[in-house]
Amino acid sequence: MFKRVPQLPVNPALRAQERHDFWPGFAVALAGLVLAFGGARHLTTVDTADGNTAWETQLVRAFAAGGLQYPDQIPPPPPPKLDGLANPGEALDRWAKQQAHAQPPAWKIRVDLGAKTPCPT
Amino acid sequence: MECPVPNCPEWKPASLGRKISRWRPWVQTGFLGVWLAPVGQWLHGIPGCVFHCYSCPLSSFACPIGVMANYAALLPVVGEVPYLLIGLLLLVGAAGGSIVCGWACPFGFLQDLLGKISHRKISLPSWTGYLRYVVLVGLVILLPLILGYKGIPFEKQVVSICRLCPAGALEAGVPYSVQSVLAGKGWVMSGLKTGILLSFIGIALFVHRPWCRVLCPLGGFLALFNRFSLFHLRFNPQRCVECNLCRSRCSMGVKVDEAVNVSGCIRCLECATCGAIEPCFALPQKEEAPKE
Repeated sequence: MFKRVPQLPVNPALRAQERHDFWPGFAVALAGLVLAFGGARHLTTVDTADGNTAWETQLVRAFAAGGLQYPDQIPPPPPPKLDGLANPGEALDRWAKQQAHAQPPAWKIRVDLGAKTPCPT
Repeated sequence: MECPVPNCPEWKPASLGRKISRWRPWVQTGFLGVWLAPVGQWLHGIPGCVFHCYSCPLSSFACPIGVMANYAALLPVVGEVPYLLIGLLLLVGAAGGSIVCGWACPFGFLQDLLGKISHRKISLPSWTGYLRYVVLVGLVILLPLILGYKGIPFEKQVVSICRLCPAGALEAGVPYSVQSVLAGKGWVMSGLKTGILLSFIGIALFVHRPWCRVLCPLGGFLALFNRFSLFHLRFNPQRCVECNLCRSRCSMGVKVDEAVNVSGCIRCLECATCGAIEPCFALPQKEEAPKE
């Protein structure tokens, strides 16, 4: 059986009709429409792993796919293969010096468009 | 159909109200096909307007709250502004307020279904609705922002909305854990998240839409538009017979007999059953010149 909430004494004639004006809603909706269109065509300041600039939609997609890369996630280049080298010690020294003088990457974050991590968190 | 309120035999529910009650579950089911569209994964770059985890294997659009939290964590690093997300939320909010909560949100639909299992319901005080804004500001914006300043990426933040979200647990954690169990690798979802999911399901049996009423940051944000959105509910004093059917039918605990376009309303339109509360669109009106 449907239960009725007890009615407090009210006077419907005194209650506000809660009519909404058209213009505030329209203005905000229009602003939202402009922002949404602008956002869809917005190039961010974030680079992609292949060197281009990421669209906002690509950045959003990266959130869902674990596609954000940070500099500390990029492994250093592996040491040279020593098989068949005339002077393996020299090659290793050169590699170690290159590593010591390696500049940190200029980017702070970039988007890997091919990432497909099912659940990043 | 007679009026379900015992003390009101002379008033029959409005035909629009009857239709709305009948249509809503079907509309919600239809929207499931939009949010759970495996062919729509190319839409992952566009935030949706409902609470639905983007890590769900079948999800089409991105979760707006997850996107918002990610942007907050990125702000100290790249200073990007989510124009697309803000624009979509403004557009949806200004057009219909929180109507997507009542008619389109898959997580709300799930809670509606869970709520039908048990008829015994616990009512919540109305102030609990403000906790949604605590979650929105604290957990979705400030916490990722502060941890982002400390150099912790969002995916590595131990406490975040995504790690605590019951929708994420249900829509992403459960499918991947089941897949892992079938592959013989065991349950991969954390104990905390599993506990949150089970507690949430238990609570949803006895409290109608607990997530929407107390914690949903998206619902809280969209509800801010209820006071001026184009689509709104209007009170017609000529049709009101003080039967209180409107308030009695409101499962969200809104005092409909006082005001209806409030932040607790999800625009399910159940209160429109009596006919005194009318769904309508705001239209531009020409001001009439005063008559002499």
